[in-house]
Amino acid sequence: MTLLAAWQLLWLVPVVPLVWWWSLPPRPSRVQWTAHLAQVERALAALRRRPPRLSRWRFLLLVLAAVATALAAARPVWHGGDGAQRLVVLLDGSASMAALDADGCSAWQLAQQRVQAVLDDLPEAVEVTVLRAGGSLLRRHGAAARALHELGAPDGSLSVDLPAAVATLATDARTAVWTLTDGQGQAALPSQGALTVVPRDGPNAAVLAVRLADGWPLPQIELEVDVVAFADGTAAAEVRVEGAVVQPAAQSLTLEAGERRTVAFVVARTPAGGALEVAVVVAGDRLPEDDRATVPLAPLPAPRIAVLAAEDGLGPTFAKAAAQALAAEVAGTVVDAQAGAEVGLLLVDGGRVPFVPAAARALTFGTELVAAGAEAGNAAMDPWIRPGSLGWDRRAALGLGLDLSELRIDRAFPKLLPKGEVFLWSDEAPPGERGAAGPVPLAVVCGDGSRASMHFAFRLADSNLPLLAAFPQLLRRAFVRCHGLAEPLRWNAVPPAGEQDLRARATAEDRPLPKFATGDTDLVVFCLVAGLLALACRSWLR
Amino acid sequence: MKAAVRPLSPAMPTLFPTEFRALLQRLCGQSARVQGARDQALRARRSALSQSGTFVGHRPYSRGDDLRRLDWSAYARSGELFTKQLEEEERRTAALVLDVSASLAVGTPPRRFAALRLAAVVGALSLTHLDALVVVVPGAGSLAFASFTGSSSLPSLLQHLEALPTVAASPQQAASLLLQRGLPGRVHWVGDFAVPNEHERALHALRRRGARVTGWLPSLPEDCSPPTAGYLRWCDPETGQELAVPVDAAFAAALRHELERLSRQQDQLFGRAGATLRRWPAARALELQPAAYADCLLECAR
Repeated sequence: MTLLAAWQLLWLVPVVPLVWWWSLPPRPSRVQWTAHLAQVERALAALRRRPPRLSRWRFLLLVLAAVATALAAARPVWHGGDGAQRLVVLLDGSASMAALDADGCSAWQLAQQRVQAVLDDLPEAVEVTVLRAGGSLLRRHGAAARALHELGAPDGSLSVDLPAAVATLATDARTAVWTLTDGQGQAALPSQGALTVVPRDGPNAAVLAVRLADGWPLPQIELEVDVVAFADGTAAAEVRVEGAVVQPAAQSLTLEAGERRTVAFVVARTPAGGALEVAVVVAGDRLPEDDRATVPLAPLPAPRIAVLAAEDGLGPTFAKAAAQALAAEVAGTVVDAQAGAEVGLLLVDGGRVPFVPAAARALTFGTELVAAGAEAGNAAMDPWIRPGSLGWDRRAALGLGLDLSELRIDRAFPKLLPKGEVFLWSDEAPPGERGAAGPVPLAVVCGDGSRASMHFAFRLADSNLPLLAAFPQLLRRAFVRCHGLAEPLRWNAVPPAGEQDLRARATAEDRPLPKFATGDTDLVVFCLVAGLLALACRSWLR
Repeated sequence: MKAAVRPLSPAMPTLFPTEFRALLQRLCGQSARVQGARDQALRARRSALSQSGTFVGHRPYSRGDDLRRLDWSAYARSGELFTKQLEEEERRTAALVLDVSASLAVGTPPRRFAALRLAAVVGALSLTHLDALVVVVPGAGSLAFASFTGSSSLPSLLQHLEALPTVAASPQQAASLLLQRGLPGRVHWVGDFAVPNEHERALHALRRRGARVTGWLPSLPEDCSPPTAGYLRWCDPETGQELAVPVDAAFAAALRHELERLSRQQDQLFGRAGATLRRWPAARALELQPAAYADCLLECAR
């Protein structure tokens, strides 16, 4: 036992004499000589009284209380046993730790249970640090470490070299390092410190990668799924595509151990969107966490297509037919164009409309665009008869693979077009503009990102465009272009390669934890309790 | 810390001043014949008629004793056979047994002061009317036993009394001393009799030897009226024991009860021994009037 403030015992020097003086009985006021002292004693006995006197027991108890209090002030400490004063728990939190045993208990849960059991019995004086290696590196210290606070779920690869990490941590002789791992993804396990291996051997199949061609805003999706299986011998597997698809798809295949196979699917997504899930199923799979990949799909746009057409000739007929065909492709509806109504796509054929390019999604054919309240110039309405040498952008997504070579235009109004990305042009010059350099635009795209408008310099009825086989495709592409590109799909993280083969892991014998220091015991409370007990006994003692 | 109590050394008035000596002369002159001597003469006469000699006491019966000397009255009282001891008739004397222990130092005036003056009066009367006076002070060394004859030895008696030391002795010592030196018929025992049980054996021994004992107890006010308040340190001058006691009404009542019981025990002690106990207020010792000693005259005349 050590007194951290031994000088406090000096209080006893004045206190003990004071206690002695305090314990003395009061002095009688006068002396009464008597020959009948025996009668005085009997009278006291009859009244069950005792004369005031110095009670040695009461004095001793009071002194004991004073000594205990002074001792408490001197801060007595009882030294505990020697041993490690710090424990660093290196916990493998890689994806393979999610592997289950036959009872459904994962290696991660088992490792946490063992750590918690040890920490519950660990002396309070031992400083605890928990390091989660694998996935995101987490560090917990003190009370958070003892509670294993929010260590998360197994994820990612074990990118830490455990032997090197343990060697670094174990340089301090007062620090005990405890490694808990399944040995997956490590060439060797630490040779220092305590070690607990929680293996989960067994077959495992995994989705390695998913490649997806999204037809958004159209419902078609093309998938290529790379799967692999690790088992003793061949494994019968089934790859499924489920979730936000109109018709779930599945393909069965036989996988050799470690063989990477690619399976292709073409599915239609549901208009409401949702999670698209790709899964590979193998009997007895120990690590279901890497068996599936999911991606959230946004709902398909279902636009209200409004049609405006000049009431002359076949214009309205072509325009409405085009709108109907487009609505069927994109699950939209054709509505009447009304002033103030909100629509998803405006299809205009001929005429004059107040419209700012790219202010809304629109397809215009030979339509004069004017600002609100402005009057159109007559020059813009001068037609260009039969423009020849037509060309189109074959590299852009809009014209890639389209055949517009049969396109014939009877009348065009190139001056109606606003400035924008040229899609269709004529290498000739209009009759009054011979000698002008460069091609003359006949169709442009205005806007970028998620909203654009496309403008043609001719009406549908003034060309054979509606009659071309590429016309529906062009409409779809124009619709896609007006809605911009879809958000890139983010698949859940694909498990790292080293965490998948549960049969290939580093092994080592478990090593127990060293002896820990029990810590110093503060005896202040005991001294105070002893003092209080002494005072209680003194008050009870008469 | 307890302060040491100084030994009790009471300031006693002059014990036998001239006025007291004059009072003694007056008392001896006006007193009747001391009755104790007549009793002795009558007893001697009865003894001569019945048997030879004077009855001086008993001894347990043994085989071969004269059956005529069996004391049938003692047999009736005790159930045991005693043989009466007879001796030739001797002079008429009285014995004065004095307790001069330290316990008599208490009181105002001290109980010892009253006891010695009482002894002087009794002694003077005995010297005047009887043949001799024996003063027995157990434990007093050379002064333990003194014999005085005739009224002319009154000054010697007073001087002897003044010279007595304060010494403690057991009542049994006094009785033994009396019985060894010959039994006087009349015994005046002056003391405080604070422990009655200690006197029982001595009084019974004297009774068995035929002594007629009168106990004289100079009484003090505190013998029946203890203090009723105060935080007192009670001290016994004889043993030196002390007791600090807060006195309240309840304690005063309890102590009064104990003192009354002591008084009853003293009376019962002398009653069982066939003796008489006279309580004489010690304060009367300060009075130099014959009336203060009327009890002495009366008792001596019985």
